[in-house]
Order: sequence, then structure tokens, then C-alpha cells
Amino acid sequence: MAFGQVFVNWLLLGSLYAAVALGFSLVWGIMNIVNLAHGALIIVGAYTAFWLYTQLHIDPYLGIPLTMAVLFVVGWIVQYVAINRVIRAPLLVTFLLTFGLDLLITDLIQQFFSSDLRSINTAYAGNGLDIGSTHIAFDHLIAAVIAVLLTAALNYFLTRTRTGNAILATGMDRDAARLMGISIRHTYALTFAIGAALAGAAGAMLSELYPFNPSLGGTFTLRAFVIVVLGGLGTPWGVVAGGLVFGLAETVVPLIPGVGPGYDDAIAFVVLVAVLIFRPNGLLGKPFYS
Amino acid sequence: MSSGTKTQTPSAIESHPPEPKESREWLWSLILGLVILGLVATVPVLGDASALHTWTLIIMFVVLAQSWNFIGGFTGYSAFGNVVFFGIGAYTTGLMLLGNQPFWLGLVAGALVAALFAFLLGLPVLRLRGHYFAIATLGIAEAMREFVTVRDVGGGGGGLMSLPLPSLASYVGFFYAFLGLSLLCLLITVFLTRSRFGYALIAIRESEQAAEALGVPTYWYKVGAFVLSAVPTALAGGLYAYWATGFDPDTVFNVSVSVEMVLLTVLGGPGTIVGPILGAIAFEYASFQLQTSGFSLHNTLLGLSIVIVTIFLPQGILRLIREFVRKPAPGTPRANRLVEGVRRVRRFIAANGV
Amino acid sequence: MSDALSQPTGSNDSSHSDEREASCHDTPLLQLVGVTKRFGGLAAVNDLSFSLQKGEILGVIGPNGAGKSTMVNLIGGSMAPTSGAIFYQGHDINRLPPNRRAHLGIVRTFQITQPFMGLDVRENVMVGAFFGQRGLDRARALHVADEVLERVNLAHKATFKGDQITIADRKRLEMARALATNPQLLLLDEVMAGLTATEVAQAVELIQQINETGVTVLVIEHIVRAIATVSNRILVLHHGRKIAEDKPSQVLSDPRVIEAYLGERYAKRRIQEENGVSSITLEDLPQNEEDR
Repeated sequence: MAFGQVFVNWLLLGSLYAAVALGFSLVWGIMNIVNLAHGALIIVGAYTAFWLYTQLHIDPYLGIPLTMAVLFVVGWIVQYVAINRVIRAPLLVTFLLTFGLDLLITDLIQQFFSSDLRSINTAYAGNGLDIGSTHIAFDHLIAAVIAVLLTAALNYFLTRTRTGNAILATGMDRDAARLMGISIRHTYALTFAIGAALAGAAGAMLSELYPFNPSLGGTFTLRAFVIVVLGGLGTPWGVVAGGLVFGLAETVVPLIPGVGPGYDDAIAFVVLVAVLIFRPNGLLGKPFYS
Repeated sequence: MSSGTKTQTPSAIESHPPEPKESREWLWSLILGLVILGLVATVPVLGDASALHTWTLIIMFVVLAQSWNFIGGFTGYSAFGNVVFFGIGAYTTGLMLLGNQPFWLGLVAGALVAALFAFLLGLPVLRLRGHYFAIATLGIAEAMREFVTVRDVGGGGGGLMSLPLPSLASYVGFFYAFLGLSLLCLLITVFLTRSRFGYALIAIRESEQAAEALGVPTYWYKVGAFVLSAVPTALAGGLYAYWATGFDPDTVFNVSVSVEMVLLTVLGGPGTIVGPILGAIAFEYASFQLQTSGFSLHNTLLGLSIVIVTIFLPQGILRLIREFVRKPAPGTPRANRLVEGVRRVRRFIAANGV
Repeated sequence: MSDALSQPTGSNDSSHSDEREASCHDTPLLQLVGVTKRFGGLAAVNDLSFSLQKGEILGVIGPNGAGKSTMVNLIGGSMAPTSGAIFYQGHDINRLPPNRRAHLGIVRTFQITQPFMGLDVRENVMVGAFFGQRGLDRARALHVADEVLERVNLAHKATFKGDQITIADRKRLEMARALATNPQLLLLDEVMAGLTATEVAQAVELIQQINETGVTVLVIEHIVRAIATVSNRILVLHHGRKIAEDKPSQVLSDPRVIEAYLGERYAKRRIQEENGVSSITLEDLPQNEEDR
């Protein structure tokens, strides 16, 4: 494959991965919760977009605000009902809980939508820019742009708005924030809901780009984890760095003679362990958002 | 060598009460465990073929929970990918069977390969703490599943493996094999609570720093516990492979099974002798009952159970019961004891929340 | 491993006679040479040098944040120094992990007690016996544990669980666990914090008894009076540096020490009172934390 094409693929894939990991990174950074149900939320986003498309003929990209709204509500409920109750529990418990939620959500989706592979084929799906021999698909390009915009928007929200600052403060020191009058319950619910909404956006984009079914969730969660570990938790832009690095690994490794495709999870795992051992704070990272 | 005034010895030393007996809790737990397993042993006699089938699987899960207990319950390292040893056991034994080796040799081979894998994996991964260890083990399970599928280790396409029918035409043999394995795990667990090795694991769980400061070589003991958890899991996998005569990577490297192991132990009581047995039997039995009544909602049930257990029973049934029956503050009138018990339990549950 | 460095180095104001008195060996049991530990830009321990003779009781005091706990972590091995060296019996132990140091005889307690829940008091102590010493079987470890529990007056609570004993008991358990390893150098990290006056006195007596069996003790403490009565020498840390190292009576009337502890205000007041009242000494300092 020509270098130019590989390069473009890499950029587009990396940005998409940033979108996948963005919500996950927020929840982890602020609430110190590794949300194993993140992948399931992405899938919910995908199916929501699917439903909007097949029932109401709304384009998945244009429907992103709607999808995000739906996921926002879902996230809020999940946080209030379940996750708030285990915030101070040991790691094992929160891990187990989010995994249970992942199973529950995934299975419910499966009951409603069956496990058939779904896909969305829009009119513009095949079209794209052609620069020399390099083909840039429109839909991938739009997704990449949206991903970067979402990251910028989140960064702006956290650092420049009052609510966002409250979230950051809670992330830094829960007790101090509480003493300042910030409602922890609400802040956490809001944070998780935003994280879910971002997952929804990622899901909506993915639904148009690739075929999907309910069982794909786990693989997204694993990737989100690796991307966050790579990019660190210090800032939303970390997921862009992490996404790009991870995208690089995924693009390049299968090209090594003898390896071939199909080893995505294995690559993720190896990258993960390597980073954790050699650079535990990631490439950009600090232990929490600041 | 000391200087300074001698302070007066306070009269705080009471006359010694009778020598405190060593706690017998372990013995009662062992007896309870034997009784439960003994009761289960009557299934082939009292039940029909379908009951035998169900209970074989239930006991298999008991074994999985008991072995997870070694690394998760006793040592406090929540491995979320232990199913990888199950799969390794299954495929290794399967390959040996396909190579016309005797079954028992296949089992041994499976156990050895899994132990070696656990050792090599443990070396890098047990340096990680908390979240990272858990996800890393999860990742290896997924990676293994992928690897076995892509390389088609089973030979049947996508990693599927088909084995010849077992010469033990009677499935009772398999049932008792699993039961025997569970008994072995029970004995190992009891041994842990009374031995140097077990004390070290518990110390590591409670305070790895303090353990190290007292001379415990924590790293190697963690690896040891990890290897220990791998062996019965792999043996169960080998038994399963032959019993099921056919399986694929999605079954034997299934991440839900991995998490199920965790749930079963947490449900019953991690770090206890009987906890995993109780938790496994309770959950799996309920799950099978629901299946027979027409619901194929295993994952929904599992997910829901996990959610409920983690919110209301984070330290298992046993601990909750203990919290309920704890001696109330002196002076509490009889009638209020029940209310006080409930209140204590509610506070115990709420302690984890915001 | 250079024995050439085994002679005490570093300048201090102390008279050396006390050190000679305390031990008849030339090689100090423990020696820190230029030890520094930085966290980011902050030096928690800064160019610290001192030696400890076999059989001594060395008290270490200093205001909060002076670097005392960091020092214990460095000696115990849970942290590695940014620069400098630590010698034990003349050997460089910089690369040894905590459990290896425990086998050599260096054992520490923790300021915030960390009993092993899930094991009872006796079993807690047995961990020390099993792993601090070599080759003990269960019967002998039990024996050692019971013996140690007698010494610290916890024998009657041997089957109690970690959450069923008082704070003072937990402190004693920390010490018992450490003692069961048969240590040569015992590092006590604020074992008297949170104790009543009576309990403090008991702790002091226990430390003396331990020392009389030949164990060298390094006691970090906040309660200055208690530590002053039991130590051969006192080391004073402030902002990670050693500001005094001498006999208790000298150290405690050292104006630099008083200033570090009680602040400039008191030091100034003392200067004003110089004509009448004598300088602040030991008696003026609180007996235990309750008096503050």
C-alpha cells in the first residue's frame, strides 16, 4: 500500500479512536472509575443512530446531537442508580459493577435488535476526495473532524465554563469541592452523562463507517483503555495523542510480513503492557485532569 | 544502654486469663464444605441425566470460583482474565487427545502449560497495581481468544475443536472427576488459611508494604498464587474439553466466564473457605433454573446479579450475615436488636456510596 | 561494599564520647552518607548524614514535614534515594528491596498501623516470625509469636482480630510483628502517636527493654519528652536537613531546635526574657499530644 494512503488511513483512524476514548477518559480522570461498560454505551449509540436512520431517516452524522442526548439521559440514570453507590468501594467492586452493566446493556440490546450485523449505507458512503492515488473517504473525514471538534469542545467546557471548572475541581479533590458547595452527586452524574454522550457520538459515527453488532462493545472498551494509558489522563487532548499512537500500531503491525490481520486485541494488549511497564504515566499524562 | 529515669511499671497487667485457644473457625468451614460437597455427590444417584448434566457444570463453576479465590480472594489481586487458563487447559488436552495420548496425560499437560503460562505472564503483569493488573489480565484473555481463532488451533475453522467421544461412556465419571477437583481445591484453601504461604498471601492483600517490611518476598508469592490459581482452572478446562467433545474459542476463552468466576467468589465471600462454593452453587443453580423455564437470558441474569451484588453485597453473603449478627452495643433492648441489625446492614451497604 | 567508608563521617556538633560509650565496635551499624530524596522539585530529605552505633537508641525528632518518615522509608528500602548511600554493617544496601533488608535485620513499623485483617493477632505476629527469620516451622513460629506477645503485653488478646483491638494495642502489634523477625535494627515510626500518658510510659519502657536485649533502636517521635528520656542521642531534622545531633539535654536547649519546633515567636520571646527567665528547655515541651 502506498505510503500516502497509509498515512491518511492512520490519521483518520487515530482521530476516530480519540472519539472512542474521549468519554472513557473523562470518567476515569474525574471519577477514577474505569467504566467497563463504555463499549456497551458506544454500541447503544450505534444502535440509536441506526434506529434514527431506519425509522426516521435521519443521517447518522446530522443526528449526533440527538444520539448524544439519548445517551446523556441513559448515562445520568446509570450513574445515579448504580455507580454513585459504589464510588468509595474498592477497585474490584467498581470494576465488577461496570462489567455487569456492560453485560446487561449488551444483552438487552441483543434482545431488542438481535445479534445480526447491521450497517448503515448512506448515499455518500463510497465517495471521497482523490489526491493522486490517495483516496480520502468523505465519511471518514467528517468523522475525524467531528472527533477533533468534540475534543476541543470538551476541553473548552472543562477549562472555561463554571460547570466545567466544578467538574475539574471535584476530580482533583472531592472533599474540598464538597466544602466549596459543589454537589458531588450531581457533578458525578453530569460527568458520567457527558461521558456517555461522547460515547454515543462515537457510536453514531462508527455505525456509518463499519458494520456492527452488540458483541463489539468489549473490543472498544479495551481499546479505549489502551488509548488512555498511552495518552495519559492529564487533558482531553491526551486521547488524540493516544489515539494516533494506537492507530499507528494498528495500521503498521499487520503490514509486518507473517503477521496479517485479525490480531487487533493482541496488539492492544501488548502495547498496553509495554506502556504500563515502561512509561506508566503515558506519553502526555499526569495522574488526573488539571 | 538506655539512659533516663525508669518510669514506674503501671499495674495494667492483669492476672492472665486462661490461655486463648486457637480459633477453630477453619475446622467448621472445612466440615461445612465437606458436607455440601457430600450432598452434591448424591446427584448421580438421586437425579436423572439432565440433573447430572446441570450439576456437572455447576461443580465446574465451583472449581473455577475456588481457584480464582487463591489470587483474587486471598492475595487481593483481582485477575479478570483467568478464563485464559481454562482455555489453555481445554486446547492442550484436546490437542493431546487428537494426538492419541491418554486422557490423564492430556490433563497433566494442560496443567503444566497453564502453570508455565501463568508464571511467564505473572512476571510482568504482577508488577502492575489495581486497575492496570485487572485490565491487563482481561486483555490477555481477549488476545488469546483472538490468537486461537486466527491461528485456528483447533483445526476446525475459527479454532473449533472436535474430539472423539470419551471412552468413559458414563458421564458419571466426569461428574466425580469435577467433584474430586473441587474437593482438592477445598483442601488447598484450608491449607492456605493455616500455612505460611497463606499467611503471606493474606498479608500481601491487607498491606503489601507491611508484608515486605517484615521480610515477605511479595513478588514471588504473588506469582506463586497466580500459578496456583491457574492449575485447577486448567484441569477443569481439560475435563470440560473431553466432556463437551467440541468447543470453540468463544466458549473456552469467554470473558464472561472470567468475570463470572469473580462474581461467584465475591457473592459467596472472597478469601473464605466456603464462600466460593456457596456463591457458585447459589448463582449457577438459579441460573440453570431460569434457563429451563424458557429464558435464555444468561448474560442478562449475570449482569443484573453483578450489579445487585456489587451494590448490596460487596463483600459477599457471609460478611453481610456476620454484620447482621454482630453483637449490638451493650444496653440495646432485645426488641431493637432486629432493627439495629438492619440498620447496621444498611449502613454497611451505604458506606461505599457517595 | 567499601569498608573504607565504614568510619563515621560528616560533621556535627556532638561530643563523641557518648558514641564511644554506647558501643565498643568501630563499625557503625547504620550509616547514611549524603542521602537526598527529591520528589519533583522538593527535597524531602536533603544531604543527610549520620551514623548509628550498635546498641544505641537514637531518637529522631523534627516538626511535621521534616522528612522523618521519608528517612524511614529510605532506610527500610521502600524508597530509593535520589543520591547518597546507606551502609549497614559496612555494606552498601542501596539496591536491596525491603524484604531483603528485613532478612539482614532492618525492620520498621508503620506510623499508620497496618494490621493484617483476616489474621488474628497471633497470626499477625507469626508472619514476622515466619518471614523475618529463616526456616521456622509452624510450631516454632507459634512459640516465637507467643513469646513476643508476652513481652508486649498482648498475649491475652492473641486470638482477637485486627478490628477488635484498641489503637494502643495496634501500635503494640506493629512492634510485636517487628520483634518476631528478630531484628538487629528496629525503626519505630511514631509509635506513641495517639496514646495516653500512661500508654506512652509503657511504650517507653518497652523500648528500653527491647534495647536491653541488644537491639539497636531508631525512634522517630513527635512527643519530645518521651523520646528524650529514652534516647542516647537525638537527631533533629528540619526541612529534610539535620540541624542537630547530640545528647538529649544539649539538643533540647539548642536555640535552633527550639525555633524550628516552636516557631520564631517563641525564639523572639526568649531573647526578650533573657535577662530574667532562663531559656526554654525540656520541661516546657508537651508531654504527649494531649497536652497540646
